[in-house]
Amino acid sequence: MPQNETVQDLQLDEYKYGFVDEEQHVFRTQPGLSEEVVRQISANKDEPAWMLDFRLKALEVYESKPMPTWGGDLSTLQETLDEIYFYVRPQDKMERSWDDVPANIKETFEKLGIPEAEQKVLAGVGAQYESEMVYHSLKQEWEDKGVIFDSIEDGLKNHPELFRKYFGTVIPTADNKFSAMNSAVWSGGSFVYIPPGVELETPLQAYFRVNQERMGQFERTLIIAGEGSRAHYIEGCTAPVYSTESFHSGVIEIVVEKGAHFRYTTIQNWSNNMYNLVTQRALVHEGATMEWLDGNLGSKLTMKYPSCYLIGEGAHGNILSIAYAGDGQHQDTGGKIIHAAPNTTSSIVSKSISKGTGRSSYRGLLQVHDGARNAKSNVECDALLIDENAKTDTYPYIEIDEKTAHIGHEATVSKVGDEQLFYLMSRGMSEEEAMALIVRGFIEPIAKLLPLEYAVELNRLIELEMEGSVG
Amino acid sequence: MSASTETTIALNEGVTEALSREAATARSAGEPEWMRERRVHAFDVYARTPMPTRRLEEWRYTDLGEKLDLASLSLGTRSEVADDPSAWPAGVRATMEEDWDAAAHVVLIDGTVVHVDLDEALAGKGVVVTSLRDAVNDEETWEDAKQYLATQAVKPERGKFAALNCALYLDGVYVYVPRGVHVDLPVRVTRWISTSAAAHFDRALILAGETSKVTYIDEVLSDDLDTHTFASNAIEVIAKDGASVQFVQMQRLGRNVFAHSQQRTLAHRDATANTLNVALGATTSRVDLNAQMLGPGSSSEMLGLYFGDGDQHFDHNTSQDHVSPHAFSDLLYKGALDGDAKAVFRGIIRVHPKAQQSDAYQTNRNLLLSETASADTLPNLEIAADDVKCSHGATVGQLDEESLFYLMSRGIPQEKAERLVVMGFLGEILLKVSLGGVIEKITREIERKLAHV
Repeated sequence: MPQNETVQDLQLDEYKYGFVDEEQHVFRTQPGLSEEVVRQISANKDEPAWMLDFRLKALEVYESKPMPTWGGDLSTLQETLDEIYFYVRPQDKMERSWDDVPANIKETFEKLGIPEAEQKVLAGVGAQYESEMVYHSLKQEWEDKGVIFDSIEDGLKNHPELFRKYFGTVIPTADNKFSAMNSAVWSGGSFVYIPPGVELETPLQAYFRVNQERMGQFERTLIIAGEGSRAHYIEGCTAPVYSTESFHSGVIEIVVEKGAHFRYTTIQNWSNNMYNLVTQRALVHEGATMEWLDGNLGSKLTMKYPSCYLIGEGAHGNILSIAYAGDGQHQDTGGKIIHAAPNTTSSIVSKSISKGTGRSSYRGLLQVHDGARNAKSNVECDALLIDENAKTDTYPYIEIDEKTAHIGHEATVSKVGDEQLFYLMSRGMSEEEAMALIVRGFIEPIAKLLPLEYAVELNRLIELEMEGSVG
Repeated sequence: MSASTETTIALNEGVTEALSREAATARSAGEPEWMRERRVHAFDVYARTPMPTRRLEEWRYTDLGEKLDLASLSLGTRSEVADDPSAWPAGVRATMEEDWDAAAHVVLIDGTVVHVDLDEALAGKGVVVTSLRDAVNDEETWEDAKQYLATQAVKPERGKFAALNCALYLDGVYVYVPRGVHVDLPVRVTRWISTSAAAHFDRALILAGETSKVTYIDEVLSDDLDTHTFASNAIEVIAKDGASVQFVQMQRLGRNVFAHSQQRTLAHRDATANTLNVALGATTSRVDLNAQMLGPGSSSEMLGLYFGDGDQHFDHNTSQDHVSPHAFSDLLYKGALDGDAKAVFRGIIRVHPKAQQSDAYQTNRNLLLSETASADTLPNLEIAADDVKCSHGATVGQLDEESLFYLMSRGIPQEKAERLVVMGFLGEILLKVSLGGVIEKITREIERKLAHV
């Protein structure tokens, strides 16, 4: 490994996506959340009446549910919510070519390397700026095979039957307070349909950017992977660093039909002033496989537990979670697996790193329903602590109602060993290089499942965050 | 809903005619003023603390609304049974036949101490084994009792039921071992419950002086009772610098009993406080155990074993607090579940800031023997120091097919092979405890239960 080169690449211990564009928008709602705001969003999107009803009902549910008292510290969230803009429309319409995207927005995405990646490694790209998708495109060959990769709004407009059949069925409005909030004010996100038997060779990617100060982003994604299909969807997120707090609450619904194989990857790198409260869930049918690859590096507080509901015989769920909590960050992440059918299998592997005053918590649920015969599951959690003030927690809930289940959970907590450091330093590495190498080794089982470019990016992010961590 | 309405609803929840402030005052008749104040204060804490519901993490899997009916209970009263084995229930005599190997015996019936004997040589060395009531009333012992009874370990502020026990306990056991004294044979306590439809409260305070050593075996049992009955018990273990305490509880209560034991061990510098909790009886059994590693070099081995059948519900709620650096704790709870039985294990290791060089482990393993048995397990970690070794694990599964196959290939019939595998699974716990009488009693009870499988 060319250690010295990569270490020279380390620029500063600054958040490199923290730049700000000049704020330009064509419409935004009043700060805070109200029925009027919900009606304005719906009117702005020119939606059918049933969707407005859906939103208004969701608002009622949201208001009736108490703020969670578990997980991270949400005690000052209400103040933030009263001040943020729930909807900001950056431009009038979504574009299919980068050339048509307004220059300032295009520049943002160029800085993030999106158009370049699209050329090289992706089947399709969606880009969301503030509350709306500003760009969406899919390579012709996939369009020809019937793949749909569109903004969620266009999904509703152009494929109303398919949309209505699945929307809100995987994650009901009342699932939790924030899924209700999202159901009321959702805007942006992707609508994906992979026809039966189609295998996408390269990933689809959606990129989420919040630029406006005091902004709430509420993307909603609905994915249907048809019988026997295969696809990989990647989302990435960044935002500028403001002194005020921002809010992101997405809802991701995925249906994995019989025998399909779907992987959903998140590289979450929000700035450290972002609340990130996301609900992600997949319904996994007979013989199908769902994989969540969940990387949480940014945000002030993330509460996110990707779930697999294994409802068909032989379904398989896989959750790989990596969390990095630096100074002042709390990553409360993990996963949920519900075994509701026989011969279902699952595995959760979680790796977390806490540094400075960071805190990472693994929170997981593993449930085997009565009658889900021969369900097998294994959960492994490893936590690495890099400073004496860093914290880590593990809260695995295991609920077994089936005799033939075979369930195991293991967790370890360790610090970077002095011996490991000494060994590497005796080979001529600086302490920082040695530390970065050890951490890279620690996350490697997860990084190797990412497409090359993302694995490199993940490693670079970890290195950036590691900068200045020793000595 | 405003905060004040919620408070009103919570206020006085669980306060019945039987469980009232007046009852707490009445219980202190003949006791010194400080004890009366302590009971009344505890009752006030009880009355103002809301009844735990499943919304509370610690009660997530045990629904008190369904399992406990305080309003149906009268308050247990003093037993008039004489200090004479022939007057004791047959079950007490039967179990004590194996208890000859002891430094002391204590017998409680419905929370009343009816018998105490203590080896004379130990008494000569200053060891005290007596009823808690006597300890509180005797000026020679009350200084220690006053300092430690419900003040550091199971104090009212631990929660609604800790408060209730302190307010209403009828009697209990007081053990004091002076500095440097080793009590080589166990103190054996037999607690029998005979009155049904009642709420019984007793407790024990075990004080081990510097570098002293003592083993305390607490056996609680009853026949099957005809109606809902509540048996509450609090155990306080204080192991001073270098002391070593082993506490064993064997719960073999009959059906219809809700058994609740709240235990806390405080281990000071280089002290050891080991526990074994065996749950075999009762309809609902709840154990709250908190081990505090207060001084550097302290340690606690925490073992648990349970076997549930019928509609039994076992809930073990454990916590390991590493407050000081260089301490060690190791928890292993294993259980088998048959019939409609359900086991809950919720454990947490908390490594506090600055508790560097902590070694803490936690494992819970469950065997499901029937289609309708179930197990919920939550082994939690909260780590706030970086130089630690911590791990936890949990498993739920059925009998190991390979072991079964191996035994059956040697000509052992399936039924017997299954029992052997279960015994082998649970035996891991018993192997770690070398106490005469204890292993035999537990093994017999498990075999009796297995005979119905």
